[in-house]
Amino acid sequence: MNGEVGRPISRLLADVDGARCERKGDRRVRIDATPENLPAVLELLKGRAGYLHLSAITCIDWMDDGEFELIYHLWSYEDRNLVSAHIRIPREPGVYLSVYDLFEPAGFFERDIHEMYGVFFEGSPDQEKFILTEWNGPPPMRKDFDAEGWVQGTFQWEDYRPEWLQEIEEKGGGIAIKPEQARANTRKIRGWKQ
Amino acid sequence: MRPENYQAQSHPPSHEYELNFGPNHPGIEGNYALQVRLHGDTVVSAHADGGYLHRGFEKLMEGRLWIQNIALVPRICVPDPVPMEVCYSLAIEDISGLQVPERAKWLRVLQLELSRIAAHLFYFGGHAATTGMYSPSFWGVADRDLILDRFEELSGGRVYHIFNIPGGVRRDIPEGFLGRVSALLDYLEARLPEYDDLLFRNQVFVRRSKGVGVIDQQQALAWGVTGPNLRATGLGFDVRRDDPYLIYNQLDFEIPTEDSGCCWARTLVRRSELQQSIRICRQVIAALPDIGGPVRAPIPNPLAWNVPVGESYTRVESSKGELAYYVLSTGGEKPYRVHVRGPSAMHAVQVLEKMVTGGRLEDVAQIMFSLDACPPEVDR
Repeated sequence: MNGEVGRPISRLLADVDGARCERKGDRRVRIDATPENLPAVLELLKGRAGYLHLSAITCIDWMDDGEFELIYHLWSYEDRNLVSAHIRIPREPGVYLSVYDLFEPAGFFERDIHEMYGVFFEGSPDQEKFILTEWNGPPPMRKDFDAEGWVQGTFQWEDYRPEWLQEIEEKGGGIAIKPEQARANTRKIRGWKQ
Repeated sequence: MRPENYQAQSHPPSHEYELNFGPNHPGIEGNYALQVRLHGDTVVSAHADGGYLHRGFEKLMEGRLWIQNIALVPRICVPDPVPMEVCYSLAIEDISGLQVPERAKWLRVLQLELSRIAAHLFYFGGHAATTGMYSPSFWGVADRDLILDRFEELSGGRVYHIFNIPGGVRRDIPEGFLGRVSALLDYLEARLPEYDDLLFRNQVFVRRSKGVGVIDQQQALAWGVTGPNLRATGLGFDVRRDDPYLIYNQLDFEIPTEDSGCCWARTLVRRSELQQSIRICRQVIAALPDIGGPVRAPIPNPLAWNVPVGESYTRVESSKGELAYYVLSTGGEKPYRVHVRGPSAMHAVQVLEKMVTGGRLEDVAQIMFSLDACPPEVDR
């Protein structure tokens, strides 16, 4: 069955303009679609080829290209084959259609991508915050968000020298770190301006 | 949400009330919360509230070397860490075309199955505790500890082994290791009848869990349920058999299924999986002495390793269901993107919310445990 799986998919997609399909491995097929025809591709895969299981939706931030890549991983229990449908949407305004009406698991993945990348999915049932309930900054998984820089700018390094340690150090023991040797001073943080 | 940021809202007079089920609640699994709305004891609606364990693994992994991430991935799911390491390693091997030596594949399968047994033993205790029985959790954790002893002997770490690396495993097994694992398996198998008497034939547990949290196969497929929870609805799907990785296609094992789709059926599926995992481990132990050769393929200098351009969507069967990693390399020293699809991302959020609604308050904890939802996989 393995070798034949790619062919019915390419026949299925023949009617969809701009969708290319390519076999990547024994049980892996890659489809390159466009934002306009992706809902049609997914509907064909689900309705005519038995791809019932939406395994995941992955978002990739291509900051230099000004685009987000969305990948829909679908699995067919009958063909035992995994199809990854790729599309690219503009980074601004970062809006796309929800596929919740086709695949219910999409609700969680779209909510997660909305929270982490700021992509808005029209028609998704719930785009409330889930993980970062108390976060008001930019979507953190975007490539232009510098997590380490944010930490350096938000929190202070504290010198941990309780009394018991100072007593030991006075006797010549312990691990005495002079202030100029402390990590925060010696370490240069890339991309962070004080 | 932190308690100091919680603001009670006033509602119009009603018979319904809200209850915060978690994050500090003995019936919740891990650091997780459900906000349930109740009418009497009946759940009217439920709202999952996560984020208590968010450590930003996907972001951290983009800033670390390929080899450094090996130390991060097992922390994504504490009770069942080996599938995380193996799945991440498989993805890198797929991208860079590394050929894993045969012996390493068998050693990985041995670890995967031992980890599955440990995770299931952990799970039984938790599930039984939600029905008021605390002895199985002591037994399960005590027996799991014996497996952790073997992992400690193998890797030096009890919980996080970090033993699988891209290209194979870190080192070969110590002398006499297989004999000790074999003795451990004998012991575990001898314990199974005792577990049956304590839990699986115990009418308190059977009556309490039978017919609770029912999900039929059509719903399970529509909601994206995977793993033992899907097999409890009668569909015998297992990534190990249907999308085989490592050497699972050379092994002889069955995929247990149940039809009723309730909490009891999910427990029975896992109970049967214990026997199947023991069976797989025995096959590995029998075959391993005849498989010589190295245990890892030579990899480039790991501190300056540019994995070639490519992407991979790799799946393994963890004890909780379908675990997948999407790894994308742009040819740099660090991954451009790693996406972790934990099985609990479905089970603990949408599926749990829907299954709990309409049920009773005392069953909420049991349904969550019977799904074997692992909150760190959701938060990542």
